[in-house]
Amino acid sequence: MTGAALPAADLPSFAESVAYVRALGKPSAADVLRAAEAAGRVALQPRCGVGSHAQMMTLLQDLEQHARPDVLTLTIDSHTRLKRFDQARAALERNPADLNGYPLVTHGWRRGRELNEAVSAPLEVRHGSPDARLLFTTSVAAGITSFEGGGISYNLPYSKAVPLSESLAAWREVDAMCGDLAGRGLVIDRELFGTLTAVLVPPSVSLAVSVLEAVAAAREGVRCVSVAYPQGGHFEQDVAALRAIPALAARYLPADVEVHAVLHEFMGVFPRERSNAEDLILYGALVARLGGAAKLITKTYQEAYGIPDTRAGIDGLLLASRANSPLLGFIKVDEERVGWELEWILREVAEIVEPVLCAADLYQEIVAAFQEGRLDIPFSASRYARSEVVPRRAADGAIRYHAAGSLPFSAGTRRHNERSLAADGGPRGGDLLKGLTADINYFLHEFGESPAAPS
Amino acid sequence: MRHDNDHGTRTVILGVAASDSHVVANQLIALGLRAQGWHVVNLGACTSVAEFAAAYADHPRAEAVVIGSLNGHAYEDLRDLPAVRADGLLDCPVVLGGNLSVGSYKDSADLERLYALGVDVIMSDPEALPATLDGLRARTTTAGAS
Repeated sequence: MTGAALPAADLPSFAESVAYVRALGKPSAADVLRAAEAAGRVALQPRCGVGSHAQMMTLLQDLEQHARPDVLTLTIDSHTRLKRFDQARAALERNPADLNGYPLVTHGWRRGRELNEAVSAPLEVRHGSPDARLLFTTSVAAGITSFEGGGISYNLPYSKAVPLSESLAAWREVDAMCGDLAGRGLVIDRELFGTLTAVLVPPSVSLAVSVLEAVAAAREGVRCVSVAYPQGGHFEQDVAALRAIPALAARYLPADVEVHAVLHEFMGVFPRERSNAEDLILYGALVARLGGAAKLITKTYQEAYGIPDTRAGIDGLLLASRANSPLLGFIKVDEERVGWELEWILREVAEIVEPVLCAADLYQEIVAAFQEGRLDIPFSASRYARSEVVPRRAADGAIRYHAAGSLPFSAGTRRHNERSLAADGGPRGGDLLKGLTADINYFLHEFGESPAAPS
Repeated sequence: MRHDNDHGTRTVILGVAASDSHVVANQLIALGLRAQGWHVVNLGACTSVAEFAAAYADHPRAEAVVIGSLNGHAYEDLRDLPAVRADGLLDCPVVLGGNLSVGSYKDSADLERLYALGVDVIMSDPEALPATLDGLRARTTTAGAS
């Protein structure tokens, strides 16, 4: 492994890092999530990461000073995600602006501590690595208390040829290290990336993958799990998906594991008009509030154009924070519809995960199930998922299974999806390709923006 | 009159450029072509020029290699194309589409340098792909007959 070439010996011991976090005197990410849930408000977190250490410091401080997010992010660059540490170092030396994130391993844990000490919010590392072991130990040494990813969710959407058995084994080690740290009194929040490929993800696919990763993590000793779900676009379906998270935790996880629901504001094609983008940001924040999410990962009005600047990041956070207003308590959802969606989500997740959870070896079973299509995700980048699952939007905007591939769904579940897609004259769009494209461009249509590709 | 492979099915090789993992459009194009009866060899995300050439060796009747690139690095990712074509390892048309240069403002020079690498067709609308492939085949057939 490439990681072995790096001077891991430079890292402080876990005992020293735990003592450092204690001395740092700020809340851990788990503390922040617990407090937000207790207060009935949604904690807010932006994405952010730049190559230069000095600019990363400024970015975090500017976001904190102007928007007071509850958790701050180090988004990691793609070289580091892929363990190409030499390329990350070369790019850093040539021009840090060429990096699409902060190369934490290359900058080293001491600089990570500098960032941590520069702001009062706890930090989370967000990346996309099928094998994040060195990034994890560097993060712990930097005193970072939240770490995103999982053996399925950070492989299938990001890599083409990394076998699932390899990513699962690497993440098992990360989870076991979290267990070790929990035993020493430091609870690391392990956030699972249910967003997957971000486009038209059926809620039960997202949640089933997270349940499997969460069960695996809990068995290795992880004590705090954040289950992140991507806003799909249908209000009641999204609220139900968030409310499914505590129900799934009660059903499948030990009682001593803390579980928090996290919403990613819409990750698909964003409107280009600033006012439309801002409507969608506020709408997403209201989904998080009504779904009982502990945390919201925010977007910006520059989403359609690329990586946002600091001002847009601040504005996105300030706008999303409006949804926490005490004045908005009058907003209600159609509880009957939410209850109906929730029931179907729980049933679909059960049908997907329960046969896998029964197996003697969970890891081998996950690999075999993806091979056979009993587990599957749409639009996988990886050869290790079949991607026979084809989602569509029903006429009302809800995401359903147009094709469920080899998912072990009951006849009743298949009928439910067929009926929903057939209702109200069927989904919009003509043939499958045009229809899927229209489903992906859903919010452009809602706002009357043309689906022309942004230049 | 058909000039297809042994099963009467037309074949195309599809993939996303070497540094790019955006696969949703790629999979939609594959779905669309398969629905129209094409045999699609889809190499998916992060496919190097060498991998496209290897797939062409496996599927020499492929009518075209269709490459998507959405992260602005098309030129960088296709730098090996002239060498591979000079060695006779990719003798079918190369079609390219997507977001083909970094930045918001596109320049015709960005496309010219891609044509100079040996890209035959640059297209912006994936729905036009079947018609483009028909056009390329007509060109090949005519050339073969003359």
